[in-house]
Amino acid sequence: MSVIRVPEADAAGWRCAACDEPLVMRPVELEYLDALFNVELPTCPQCNRVFISEELALGKMHQVEQLLEDK
Amino acid sequence: MTREPRSVCPVCLAPIPARHETVTSETGGHETLLVKECQDHGPFRTVVWRGPPDLAGWSRPKIPSQPRKPTTPVNRGCPLDCGLCAAHRQHTCTAVLDVTLRCDLGCPVCFASSGAQALPDPKPTDIGFLLDRVSEASGFCNIQLSGGEPTMRDDLPGLIRLARNKGFPFIQLNTNGVRIGSEPGYAATLAEAGLDSVFLQFDGLDDTVYASLRGRPLLERKLAAVKALAQSGIGVVLVPTVVPGVNDHALGAIIRFASANSPAVRGVHFQPVSYFGRFPHTPGDEARITLPEVMRLLEAQTHGVLRVQDFLAPGCEHSHCSFHANYLVTTDGGLTRLSAKEACCASPGPPLPRPASEGADKAKAFVKRQWASPDRELPMAGPGDDLDRFIARTAAHTLAVSAMAFQDCWTLDLERLKGCCIHAVSPDGRLIPFCAYNLTSQDGTTLYRGKCHGPATP
Repeated sequence: MSVIRVPEADAAGWRCAACDEPLVMRPVELEYLDALFNVELPTCPQCNRVFISEELALGKMHQVEQLLEDK
Repeated sequence: MTREPRSVCPVCLAPIPARHETVTSETGGHETLLVKECQDHGPFRTVVWRGPPDLAGWSRPKIPSQPRKPTTPVNRGCPLDCGLCAAHRQHTCTAVLDVTLRCDLGCPVCFASSGAQALPDPKPTDIGFLLDRVSEASGFCNIQLSGGEPTMRDDLPGLIRLARNKGFPFIQLNTNGVRIGSEPGYAATLAEAGLDSVFLQFDGLDDTVYASLRGRPLLERKLAAVKALAQSGIGVVLVPTVVPGVNDHALGAIIRFASANSPAVRGVHFQPVSYFGRFPHTPGDEARITLPEVMRLLEAQTHGVLRVQDFLAPGCEHSHCSFHANYLVTTDGGLTRLSAKEACCASPGPPLPRPASEGADKAKAFVKRQWASPDRELPMAGPGDDLDRFIARTAAHTLAVSAMAFQDCWTLDLERLKGCCIHAVSPDGRLIPFCAYNLTSQDGTTLYRGKCHGPATP
């Protein structure tokens, strides 16, 4: 599966609060209701925590959730 | 889920106790019968579910939601107090309003017993009054204009405008499609009036099916209707009445036709045949097809593209009334399941009851979004990243596959009736669950239809 790049995800200027490492862009698997998306997202290279911006969470991710959710 | 149903006597329609009896069928599955006995008219046994999946596991429990403004008191007991009464357990998702009882077909089986001979049509002022009663009782729910055949009325575009102007956000037309498929420009006229969606009688892709079910070949008209509606931007839901031995072999072909005509075709809504209104004779169990059988036939006839395990019990109407699943129509014409059984954070074990009102709100929003043309309701495809393209594709090219089992005097289960969200608007302004409104005894005597001409008292 090809990696999806979204403009809302940008690692520039962000550091991991726990590790104090600068975040780097890495492919991350997002799974919801049996659907899998491979998206490049800012990630801490040490603890592997992923940062999802508010814009992405409330925007496209919310739209995808609505499309996948059952009535 | 276990529960004690009540039903009616098929002869006198008196409410009587009933029970479910589940037996192992010849094929090894579990077959559930509704068993009841009237003191005056004897015992009755009718198949209501031929699993798998089995009836007991087909459950989506709901916390009942009362009508916000009950019209009738609880007096004689279900199903004799409809209005809606204060004991009803679900809100109106769709209000079905008959604008005529005339019809240009005379199908051997018709829940409304429609035909060439009929009572005079209600006047536009009567329709306006009924729409006001719906909004008072149930808010701005989805409206389905039905009949009879609504396109028999030349003022139908005006009635669509009337409903729009009253504030109803989603207007659907229940039609055989004959006029839409015959008269150039008619679909565009309906679209201009504000029609969102057509519930199109569509029993198969073979004229022998139409000759049997509708009395004449109609396939050419149906295909022309789909084309005209697509060109006019009106969402199409194909509605096959499924009759054993007549078109139960055609379900896969209908799904393939729907996929090939996505996004104009928004969904397929199968209706296993029920015997109310006009029907030739008292049906035996061999004349019935139940929801699990439709699920299994869909899997077999699509060669596993649709699977029994894809299908979900409804969140709006009673669990035993329907199933549904949503699919993405991919660019190569394939189908990929979208809806899924469990969210990532769902708790293990049986599902917890959810408020019925929550299911009604979701179903209303889903129907409005999914059964209308994507051009009106959904974001357009455009440039962007892969997620944008997925969103645009899915929003436009989702195919909703569903089935709803209506109940007749043999199969009526009053628990299911109390959970009904499809409400007929009677001529005196009451809202009556669809299967109660259309209920007829085995000799054709109605309980409500044709008997609701009293004053419009709240």
